[in-house]
Amino acid sequence: MKVKFSKGEKIFLSGFLVVYVIIAIWNLNKIEFPKGIGEVWQVKVPLPSILGTLNPITIIMTAVIFLLITYMAIDFKRHLTKIPSRKQAGIETVLSFVYELVEDVIPVKEFVRPTFYISATLFLFILFSNLLGGIPGISFGVSNHHLILNLFNDTWPSPTGDLNTNVTYAVMVLFISHIFAIKLKGFKTWMKGFVSPNPIMLPMNIIGELAKPVSHSLRLFGNIAGGGIMVLMLSYLTKYTIVPVVLWGFFGFFVGTVQAFVFSMLAIAYISVQLEQ
Amino acid sequence: MTDLTMAQAVAEAAKYIGAGVAMGIGAIGPGIGEGHIGQGAMEAMGRQPEMVGTITARMLLSQAVAESTGLYSLLIAFMILLF
Repeated sequence: MKVKFSKGEKIFLSGFLVVYVIIAIWNLNKIEFPKGIGEVWQVKVPLPSILGTLNPITIIMTAVIFLLITYMAIDFKRHLTKIPSRKQAGIETVLSFVYELVEDVIPVKEFVRPTFYISATLFLFILFSNLLGGIPGISFGVSNHHLILNLFNDTWPSPTGDLNTNVTYAVMVLFISHIFAIKLKGFKTWMKGFVSPNPIMLPMNIIGELAKPVSHSLRLFGNIAGGGIMVLMLSYLTKYTIVPVVLWGFFGFFVGTVQAFVFSMLAIAYISVQLEQ
Repeated sequence: MTDLTMAQAVAEAAKYIGAGVAMGIGAIGPGIGEGHIGQGAMEAMGRQPEMVGTITARMLLSQAVAESTGLYSLLIAFMILLF
């Protein structure tokens, strides 16, 4: 592929490069490692037991993504046409791709649509929140009980970088899969699944079920949070010159998309395992 | 740097050694696994060049699953270093 630049573009690009290098050298000794990494801003509210602690940033970003997706959905529905526009065709391609996956994997026909709703919702939410983790923005940290704003040296805080979000969805998938199984097979047959092939395997089966949400949630959390910290360290070492753009692109967009796909794919697989007869 | 007692110094050194060992050994398993997956995918692509798109998607999916154990050790290493 050959890229041709006009004269004006060449002048602009070389001027941009010169300014970039000058600013990079100017900032060489002034860049500090952002404080408050690994600390989470938590707020105590007077509520009983486990509901008493909140992570405000996770809640705010989750609400932002909910609003974004809701707006997109309403916009999609309002502009539905027989001849699809580019946006409509893109959304339809993604959703029909997920639908075909579900149709292939789920053995019972009446559970195809519910599973599709769950997995497509999970996919969209996790995809958007991971993509948010690839865009530089304002992030928050805590050090010595003071809130610190990190302006544009880290990405936007993505909700999936918080383990609470991931565990919520993983446990939700576990419960949904078992509820589907009870609905399909009836309570007795479902209970029999735990003592098959023989009752000695009962603890193994229970541990196997409990291990599912653990690995399911920690996989996504490890990718997003670990990648974020790694990008932060590498971009600090290179003094924020050229490298962070590449790394944000890789970890935010490529890894984020693959992990969102893996999460919803595993959700489908866990549900389909429970539905086998 | 503040003065450390012997025990604190040993604990501090052990932190770094532990993080390095955790990441180093933890990267072996996923490395081997992803290599096997890549090998299988390449062989399949060589046999059926018309299936390249599907195989690449499945390959990335299974590599992401195999990679998760490596990420656990990365997380543990960061937790040892930072907390």
